[in-house]
Amino acid sequence: MNPSRPKLTWLLIAIVGFLTLCPVAMLFIGSFSQGLTAFGKFTLDKYLAAYTDPVLLDVTINTIVFVLGSSILATGLALFLAYLNTRTNIPFKPLFTVLSIVPMMIPHLLFSVSWALLLNPSNGLINSFLKEVFSLQSAPFNIYSLPGMILVEGLLNMPIAYLIIAPAMASFDVSLEESSRVFGASVWRTLVRVTLPVLRPAILAAFVLGMVRSLASYAVPRVLGTPGRVDVLATYLYQMVATGFSPDYGKAAALGMSVLAASIGLIVLYRALTSESGKYVTISGRGYRPTTIELKRARMPLFTLVALLSFVMAVLPVAVLFYTSLVPYSMVPSARAFSLMGWKNWIDVLQDPASLLSLKNSLFLAVVGASLGVLLSIFVAYVIVKIRTRASGLLESLSFLSFSFPGIVIGIGFMWFFVQTPLYATLTALLVAYIATYLPYGVRPLASAFVQVHAHLEESSLVCGASALTTMRRVIVPLLIPGIVSAWILMATMFVRELTVSVVLSRPGSEVLAVQILSFADDGLWGKLSALGIIMILISTTLVLLAMYAGKKFRAAQGA
Amino acid sequence: MNAIDRRIFLKLAGAAGLAGISGALPSAYAADETALSKAKAEGKAVFYANITSVKAIMKAFNADTGIDGIYTRLSSSKFLPTILTESGAGKLLADVVQAPRPMLELLNEKKVLAPYHSPAAAGYPDWATKDAGITLFGIEYVSYLYNKDHVKETDAPKRYEDLADPKWKGKIVMANPATHSSTISWLVGLKEFVFKSEADWMQYLKGLAANQPMFVDSFGPTPAPVESGEKLIGISMPKYIITKAPAPLAWGPRGGQPLLGTPRAIGVAAHAPHPNAARAFMDFWLSKKAMSLLAKDVGEYVLAPGVFPPIDGIDKVKVMPVRDLSDSEIQKWGHEFGQIFAAK
Repeated sequence: MNPSRPKLTWLLIAIVGFLTLCPVAMLFIGSFSQGLTAFGKFTLDKYLAAYTDPVLLDVTINTIVFVLGSSILATGLALFLAYLNTRTNIPFKPLFTVLSIVPMMIPHLLFSVSWALLLNPSNGLINSFLKEVFSLQSAPFNIYSLPGMILVEGLLNMPIAYLIIAPAMASFDVSLEESSRVFGASVWRTLVRVTLPVLRPAILAAFVLGMVRSLASYAVPRVLGTPGRVDVLATYLYQMVATGFSPDYGKAAALGMSVLAASIGLIVLYRALTSESGKYVTISGRGYRPTTIELKRARMPLFTLVALLSFVMAVLPVAVLFYTSLVPYSMVPSARAFSLMGWKNWIDVLQDPASLLSLKNSLFLAVVGASLGVLLSIFVAYVIVKIRTRASGLLESLSFLSFSFPGIVIGIGFMWFFVQTPLYATLTALLVAYIATYLPYGVRPLASAFVQVHAHLEESSLVCGASALTTMRRVIVPLLIPGIVSAWILMATMFVRELTVSVVLSRPGSEVLAVQILSFADDGLWGKLSALGIIMILISTTLVLLAMYAGKKFRAAQGA
Repeated sequence: MNAIDRRIFLKLAGAAGLAGISGALPSAYAADETALSKAKAEGKAVFYANITSVKAIMKAFNADTGIDGIYTRLSSSKFLPTILTESGAGKLLADVVQAPRPMLELLNEKKVLAPYHSPAAAGYPDWATKDAGITLFGIEYVSYLYNKDHVKETDAPKRYEDLADPKWKGKIVMANPATHSSTISWLVGLKEFVFKSEADWMQYLKGLAANQPMFVDSFGPTPAPVESGEKLIGISMPKYIITKAPAPLAWGPRGGQPLLGTPRAIGVAAHAPHPNAARAFMDFWLSKKAMSLLAKDVGEYVLAPGVFPPIDGIDKVKVMPVRDLSDSEIQKWGHEFGQIFAAK
């Protein structure tokens, strides 16, 4: 082993540990402290109160169903779409690639509200349409239910899974499948015995990330679960801190420790399942070339299916948002609604200094934060995948720490921490908190990309006299471009719409888009909210397209 | 007095005169040029609040005094932890804080607030100015809203009791009565101020629960389902008639029953980074001019004498503050309402 590797591992443990342990440590102290702030007299009362509530059992069951359901849906859909988009000759691939990640760019609150407008049982647009067409007595769908929550959360998490699986799929060495076919295996058998096992790290990474994400998800349970009287852990935790005038985050942190333990358990499980990483290496030299599978007669039916899925996942909710941004108040489409349409909400938003400042701040946080975050993630992913020691396991767990708490709780942890430093109430505090919280978004796609790069490539470079850094820059990074692009897109789009940490940390001068959106939501101003939401989606889409373009150019330059 | 100060003084005094109101201008500061110039030198007053849509007041404060009013919204769940954390670390950024009265009382107990009686509160009810560090300036008044495109005025519920009529089953939206503090306080307020007996009140609660209202997590999301017609009635705040105009919203009860709500309170921070600007802001906030903006633009019910929101009939109704419930009482009643409404 290169002697610099343990040093790198411990350096990264120090950096990531500092970023993630500080707020978690403050929450840990808070969970054992009397009073509302992190420091106080020692007590176990918060644990007793948090874990003895009889409602907790129902909440736990709902949470397990919600988390598993939405993660299976997200991963399954991502796998299907990534396969078609990266490996087949389905038409309009670039368009579908962008549409597949659009749900990620829509603020979760707005996405959930859009689905409530489409599928609420009273006057949801799709329900009303189906009732009329099929002369039904009652609405066929109720979005205010556990299946409704699973659908919406699954769609929201699908792009994350897609961005992890698609690069792995794109770098897949097709000769493995071809060998399987040459030896007489059917398409299905090849898929099950060759393709999926080779993609196992990426699939598991997507699934684990989806689970941790939906465990901490708040917007979907709030908008769809509360009306349906379905409580999951996130809404339960929120109620815990919101009932009464003096909210106790220490009690929420006490329960959050279980979420943290569950998340760490999932990471350990994931590491065990992918322990033989050598099995998944498919890029061992520069000779590999992914090839395209001809869909032949299945091309048009599959195209129709993907088009329909994209329409439901991305086009329909965005169309609902656009419509909402044009009407003066919440109203179902009608002649009167169309007669009242106008650009007032857009003009108000674009003339509002606070909205413009938040646009500027969010853009800065997205571009600078994602770039720094990806840089750190490359090193972390490298250590996690290529140096499989206990220390690298520790690093992986650390990278997930603050991500495992519901945002509102970790936000308070950051506030308790930053207030002890000169960074409090600055944009830098938000930058640090974003990178610390969303590190898994950078690490996961890069780790699944690293898994597929054979150690021989790195060793050859080192043998030829290149330094570890040069090897990373000249050999590894170019092969990781799809993963880097995915990681950057994930982080940048996440930072554009980050709410839960920002709402606690943002102060005058450091306002961000999502906080501005929340203030519109608190005032019930859905028109302005939707207008700003669409601006947010446009910014994210531009960033995504630029990242994809840059990645493509870079790969072309490397191949030239 | 230098030229700029004189101009501002005259401008402010002119504004007060034009409004025909004695308290339209920060009274202490209009009279005390030294205090005003100190406040101006401090440059800004930072305002932590959980009240929304106050941009017009911040703008007017700046226009009238030359001091920047900087508003940071802190929702109820983050209000106390943020202020106590900042204050504990000696880094409280706020000069003036605003929240429901129980929250400010807690801050007062922790010595976070400074005693300050603003001359601009002259004419407010006695109960609004009795505390040294807290002034009450409004009531977060609650009633019910209905969609007047879908419900004729003659069919609309006239009294609170009508909400328990089975004809409204599945047609009501309200904040979750198991967890939303203001709704819990309001329901307890109905027992104490509206219903003749606890049995009547309990019967009403059970009837309302039998109508299976849809729950949302606060008042903010209550009007949207009513506007769109997804639900016909929302237990909500009449101020949305102003902020959501031209949405077809009307309010009740119109049969003489009072409207109840939690008092809205404001106070100056004990270690305000800009103490003079803080007092100037407080004076301006409590002035008739600012309160008129709050009533006119936001539909808030304010305690400045003679100022009412432009909502049909609101000036005729009795609006009363509910009793402050302790957190343990809120937890207790929340649990009870949770059982009655089978919220969990």
